[in-house]
Amino acid sequence: MSNYIPTIGVEVHCELKTNTKIFSNSVNGYGQMANSLTNVIDLGYPGTLPTLNKEVINLAIKAALILNCKIRPKMHFDRKNYFYPDNPKNYQITQAETPIGYDGYVEIDIDGKKKKIEIEEMHIEEDTCKSTHRGTKTLLDFNRAGVPLIEIVTKPCMESGEEAKLYLEKLKELLFYSDVSDCKMEEGSMRADANVSIRKNISDPYGTKAEIKNIGSISNVKLSIEKEIERQAKLYDNGEIFLPQTRRFDDKLNDTVLMRVKETGNDYRYFPEPDIPYVYITEKQIAEVRKTIPMLPDERKEKYQSLGISEVNAKKLVQNRSLSDYLNEFLDEKIDFKTASNLLLGDISGYLNKNEQEIINTHLTKEKFIELTNNISDGTLTSKNIKEILDTVMESDKNIKEIIKETGIQNITDSSAITEMIKKIIKENPCSVADYKAGKDRAIKYLMGQIMKESKGSLNPKMAMDILLEELNK
Amino acid sequence: MKNKLTKEEVLHVAHLARIKIDEGEIEKYQIELEKLLNDVDKIKEVEGYDEEKMIAPWTKNTITREDKSGEMLNPKEVLKNAPRHSGNYIEVPIVISDGEEA
Repeated sequence: MSNYIPTIGVEVHCELKTNTKIFSNSVNGYGQMANSLTNVIDLGYPGTLPTLNKEVINLAIKAALILNCKIRPKMHFDRKNYFYPDNPKNYQITQAETPIGYDGYVEIDIDGKKKKIEIEEMHIEEDTCKSTHRGTKTLLDFNRAGVPLIEIVTKPCMESGEEAKLYLEKLKELLFYSDVSDCKMEEGSMRADANVSIRKNISDPYGTKAEIKNIGSISNVKLSIEKEIERQAKLYDNGEIFLPQTRRFDDKLNDTVLMRVKETGNDYRYFPEPDIPYVYITEKQIAEVRKTIPMLPDERKEKYQSLGISEVNAKKLVQNRSLSDYLNEFLDEKIDFKTASNLLLGDISGYLNKNEQEIINTHLTKEKFIELTNNISDGTLTSKNIKEILDTVMESDKNIKEIIKETGIQNITDSSAITEMIKKIIKENPCSVADYKAGKDRAIKYLMGQIMKESKGSLNPKMAMDILLEELNK
Repeated sequence: MKNKLTKEEVLHVAHLARIKIDEGEIEKYQIELEKLLNDVDKIKEVEGYDEEKMIAPWTKNTITREDKSGEMLNPKEVLKNAPRHSGNYIEVPIVISDGEEA
């Protein structure tokens, strides 16, 4: 395997987050009763005509912008012709000749380096119906027929399954954050195909290509590419010649298997869709859409770190969009962001997971969150206190002051009292003090443990640590 | 002038259109399709053929609609037009192998 250079390109289909379908006003929905979200246009009844959904164009422009694509000012749709039960019109309306976006890129981090994954083109098309194959039957559900899609095609510019995985993760994050798609691979609203070939030397022409279709998860994209590289390498090693083919990943076999296909290559007989006149995109429209792009993950991470949040926490926050959106409400406030991020990712996340709740549905108002964060940073509340009061904070309309009063929390914030207590601990533990002075870091942890035990967790650890160090270094 | 289509090409085109043709009909289609292709070639000779193609007589922006839902068909109505159905699903003979999804 290591003797070959793999070349990988990825095609992603993403369902757009619209209310209705691309060419009809039936609902764009998932998980509803089969064949309950259709009308005569989706079912290709004779005499019906498609009318383009405005929002589809806006979301596609948005996607093109965040993927750094150039946007075509004038475009049209094309018919892709084939006979297959998933499409009753016998053609799919797509953009073969004038994709809305082209020449874009997504930047990934691989092995500590940045790499631009180049995007060849991005086009708009309609989804087909969902077919499920059982025994001797194929079952059709037309709820998906006519759902708007964008297809994003990379250049053959990746060299490993890992790169493809990183690209897809980044793409998913971008499209999800910008509200273009909900990107749920498990529900099929994001689907990936991978084109894989290998060659001996970089100067050789590309090897014979295999396309792996409809891979159901990002981790399986990586795995299926790795398996496919192995398969092709074995064939080349044995001197076998093989034809371009379409395969699918079988997660039970943990390998790619040959697949039967609809039509191949040029047999789709594309021609312009005469029922939809030209679509023009103006600079003004692009500028309007640009305004709707929220702060994207990379920008968020950067911002968080500039506010003193650790890299680990910044990453974790971005992985949880509702928490990140919540925190973004405070970016102009003067709070201790390190404490705020710890609070959000620690106790608050714990509460939300336990109660299966979203932060916006709790009683944690902006004012309460600021009060809570400030109380932690100034030592009024300890982490033990937070655990005691959090349920009340999240579930009642009372402010933090009231809750503290009701709970009867009385923390030691008087530094002279703390100093007295610490002096006592130092006196009682001469060995640890000697260890500390001899440079043993563990000693300080032990002493802190004793202090927290003595105070029954009712003092701010940071304050205690400062005083302890001061006393030890006297 | 286009060369006559091969037998295989005629059969391939017939397959794409899902039309069954007899061995005896192949030659007839070879001639007819050849004529058709020649006619298309003639159109290509028209001055300006290679310029940007006009896909619709309406050259202004297409009419778009707001993203608002409207009336949909009752599933019973939908299934009435299907020869067979299984629950609310339309049923057709198997097209790929068992367990695959498309």
